[in-house]
Amino acid sequence: MISFLRLIKFALQDIFRNFSLSFMTVLILVLMLLSINTLAIIQVLTDEATTSVKNKVDVTVYFDHEATDEDISEIKGYVQSFPEVTSIKYLTREEVLEEFRSHHQDNAEIIESLDELEENPLGPTMVIKTRQPSDYQKIINSLNVPEYETLIEAKTFGDTEIAIDRINVITRQVERFSIILTGLFTIIAFFIIFNTIRVSIYTQRVEISIKKLVGATNWFVRGPYIIEAFIFSIISTAGAYGLVYIASGAMDPYIEVVFGRADILTNYFVSNIIMLVGIQFVTVLLLTIFSSLLAMRRHLQV
Amino acid sequence: MINLEGVTKKYSKDSVALDDINLKIGSGEFVSIVGQSGTGKTTLVKLLIAEERASIGLVEVGGINISKLRRGEVPLLRRQIGVIFQDFKLLQKKTVQENVAFALQVAGAPHKRIKEIVPKVLSIVGLEHKMHRFPDQLSGGEQQRVVIARSLVHRPKILVADEPTGNLDTINTEEIMDILKKINEFGTTVILVTHNRDIVNHLKRRVVTLDGGKIISDEKHGRYRL
Repeated sequence: MISFLRLIKFALQDIFRNFSLSFMTVLILVLMLLSINTLAIIQVLTDEATTSVKNKVDVTVYFDHEATDEDISEIKGYVQSFPEVTSIKYLTREEVLEEFRSHHQDNAEIIESLDELEENPLGPTMVIKTRQPSDYQKIINSLNVPEYETLIEAKTFGDTEIAIDRINVITRQVERFSIILTGLFTIIAFFIIFNTIRVSIYTQRVEISIKKLVGATNWFVRGPYIIEAFIFSIISTAGAYGLVYIASGAMDPYIEVVFGRADILTNYFVSNIIMLVGIQFVTVLLLTIFSSLLAMRRHLQV
Repeated sequence: MINLEGVTKKYSKDSVALDDINLKIGSGEFVSIVGQSGTGKTTLVKLLIAEERASIGLVEVGGINISKLRRGEVPLLRRQIGVIFQDFKLLQKKTVQENVAFALQVAGAPHKRIKEIVPKVLSIVGLEHKMHRFPDQLSGGEQQRVVIARSLVHRPKILVADEPTGNLDTINTEEIMDILKKINEFGTTVILVTHNRDIVNHLKRRVVTLDGGKIISDEKHGRYRL
């Protein structure tokens, strides 16, 4: 216990008496964590963009105006039975007409033509949304059966099919790119941290050998460095996360303009704080301890 | 106390630092080991503190065969032997007091004992008033006295001084030698490695002369003859 307390004391002394070196080490760690967090921000924004586009995609089923309420109800129930379907919005003929009018209120020609007709020419419609854009094809196929042929006038999915395929391709590519970029950044971070720690240990090689010559065991020499690694990891993780949180707060109003949703980044960093801080802290800690022990190995052979 | 039998140290096939050394040093002796540069004096010190291992032969300190010491046991040996180096080997980021205390802290000595011993040892070497200074705020002689204080905190039975006055002027050299003689008077075996003719001649103690890695003379009341 006495030795452990001494190691903590030595570690704190080392940090403050080698303040510039300690500061540079923490700074490098913070910069590396900021790079990794930037990737997380890119990932969040990509997800948000993809979700936003996916939400705009749906399948609209236009019923023949002769389709009865029973027919429509049957089809609705049939579509609802698919687990992929997340929502169905049914619009009556009147609602469709009203929506059509409001959508084209600036186009006098269309409104006049509509007024000339004695009867509502539009049939009821059903807007279907699924979990994944790739699920739409399944729903369309299920409606392409002879018994519904006369009841359904049109389905708009055909127009958006290519767009959905493109979104799926882009999403997959972005995910792949993010994984590669994260991997690359992690490797770069590893080498920078490893070399920073190595330089730091190298500058203290004489001290290490002196400690050994006056009778210190290897663990008595290593101890303060491990505690320093622990302290550096806490400071750098907290510092980097704090900076990311502040930056998120500053960026959110601009992101809100694009996606129409407030506090996207702040919410992400708050709701995932335990996971993100935990992973970053453990990674930095293991990396610094591993680098310290590896760099020290040679100097301990006195 | 110290027994070397047939000790040879080779760094490579062509580089033989010590060649078939046989040397016995008894308890309470003051032995000067002399020789020109590159004759193996420092290698001999390194063998005694297990910084190096003999290629052949037996190295015994206090009845313990150092050649067979496990890595984990080396710190225990070093806590039994006081060592003074020419280049001081002080921890530059620690104060005088902390440098001396460190030798006790590595051995797990309680705080109370450290607080008691360190000022006492520093007063023996006349540095109690500079205990809060850092090494770079001291003169060469004062730094060497800190090293002596550090080597004394364990009350070692053996004190090895490797060129302790090599970087010092005449006045500081005399001061250091007076301290070493005092330490010897209290019963500690002192092994002084030097190539300072005046010191050796003035001491009139046992002198072991090394040349080319071999002992060429061993005189009870010797002089520097190279």
